[in-house]
Formats: sequence, structure tokens, C-alpha cells
Amino acid sequence: MSRSGFSPEGVTFGVCLVALGVLGTLANLGKLELLPLLRTYWPLSLVLWGALELVDLTLRRSSRGRS
Amino acid sequence: MSSTPFDPQSPGAAPAAAPPPALPSGPGSAPFVRLPKSPGLAAFLSLFPGLGQVYNGRIARAFVFFFAWVGSIYLTASGHEFPFAFVIPFVYLFNIIDAWKGANAANARFLGGRSEPDEQQEIESPVWGGSLALFGVLILFNNLGWLDLDRLARWWPLLLIAVGAYFVYASLEARKAAGGSGE
Repeated sequence: MSRSGFSPEGVTFGVCLVALGVLGTLANLGKLELLPLLRTYWPLSLVLWGALELVDLTLRRSSRGRS
Repeated sequence: MSSTPFDPQSPGAAPAAAPPPALPSGPGSAPFVRLPKSPGLAAFLSLFPGLGQVYNGRIARAFVFFFAWVGSIYLTASGHEFPFAFVIPFVYLFNIIDAWKGANAANARFLGGRSEPDEQQEIESPVWGGSLALFGVLILFNNLGWLDLDRLARWWPLLLIAVGAYFVYASLEARKAAGGSGE
């Protein structure tokens, strides 16, 4: 679907998985509490996804302008 | 998944002057090309959110729909009826439509054609990305206690006004563009 070279939802999903892995590891080590953190900050994934969609759109528009 | 690709270089193919590889349509050419995706099956599988996207090979999107569905049900059940009770049917129906359109887009790519025009229009609009980011910021502020979405609940009809105004604006723009290009 995307023609700018990256898929916004794919990048968002990957970043979220990495973040979840890091937070899960830290939670298992007793450094933080995972569930309250996720309950508060999960909308950041929507913000990231929306921002990447806008970046994707801008890149496609600028690449079309160059060609 | 199996298909019968049309080879323009083959002896029985169309004349060499035709540049893009087109579908065989004449009575003497290959009668059947099997499309890789079935939009109906994709929509049917999406009755369980995300499964239609898995069928279309868009795994990240599948996870997004699945978690959006489960998350909105969880948040509605845990006392945040507004706005998540509205999000549940939106995610569910959008997931089915997305699977249908994804299968059609995959078929269009397979045939060497373009995606559907309305999908192209949706991608070209900043509304989708902007709405996602704005929605995320609003919920994040609510979670951090900087904003009380429950107090904003009485203003929800303004959302209908904004969406309605956008549709009026978009159709006027489309009419203007159609008038400027052809008629």
C-alpha cells in the first residue's frame, strides 16, 4: 500500500513489540510494574502510528514532486 | 494462490504493440485467470477481527485490528464507556471493510493494475494519520489526568458536526475537481 519504502503500521507494530519486550524484561527483573504503565501509556502507540502515517504521506508527496 | 499468468511474449498473445500485459479477453485466449485473494473470504474471516488481514498477508495490520478490538472491549468493560463503546463497532466494521479492500488491492496488484481509486484517495489524505495521532493524544492526556474525557462526553455531538462538515467539504472538493478536469 505504501510507496515511500516503509509501512507505518508495520513499523508501529515492531516498535511496540520491542518496547513490550524491554518493559516485560524490566518488569520481570522487578524494576517496574508493567500493567499500570501499559494502562497509562498505550495511547502512545496510536500517536506513533498517526505520526508515521503523516510522515509516510509527506515522503510520498515529496518523492512525487521530485519525479 | 495458484494462477495462470498471462505471458505477452507467447505466440498466441496480443500484438507486441500493446505495452502493458493485459488480461486475456478474447475467445481464443486463455479463458481463466485465478485471482490470488477472495474478497468475500477475506471479509468472512474478518468476522474474527484480524483474521482477514492475516489471509491478505498483512500481519501487522491484523495485530492492530485485533488489539484495537480487544482493547476497546476491555476499556468499555472497565468503566470507560465513552468513547470506547463507540470504538468497538467502528473497529469491527472497519476491519471487515479493510480486509475486503485489501484483498481487492492484492488482486489489482496481481493483475498489474492500480489500487481502487477510493483507497488511493484515502491514502493521500492526512485525515487518517492526524485523527489517529489526535485520538492517541486525547486518551494519553486523559490517562495522565490532564484532561477529563468524561466531562467532555456531553460534547460528543460536536464530533458528528465535524465529521458531517468534512464529508460536505470533501464532496464539494470532488465536485470542483470533476468540473475542472472534464466538464
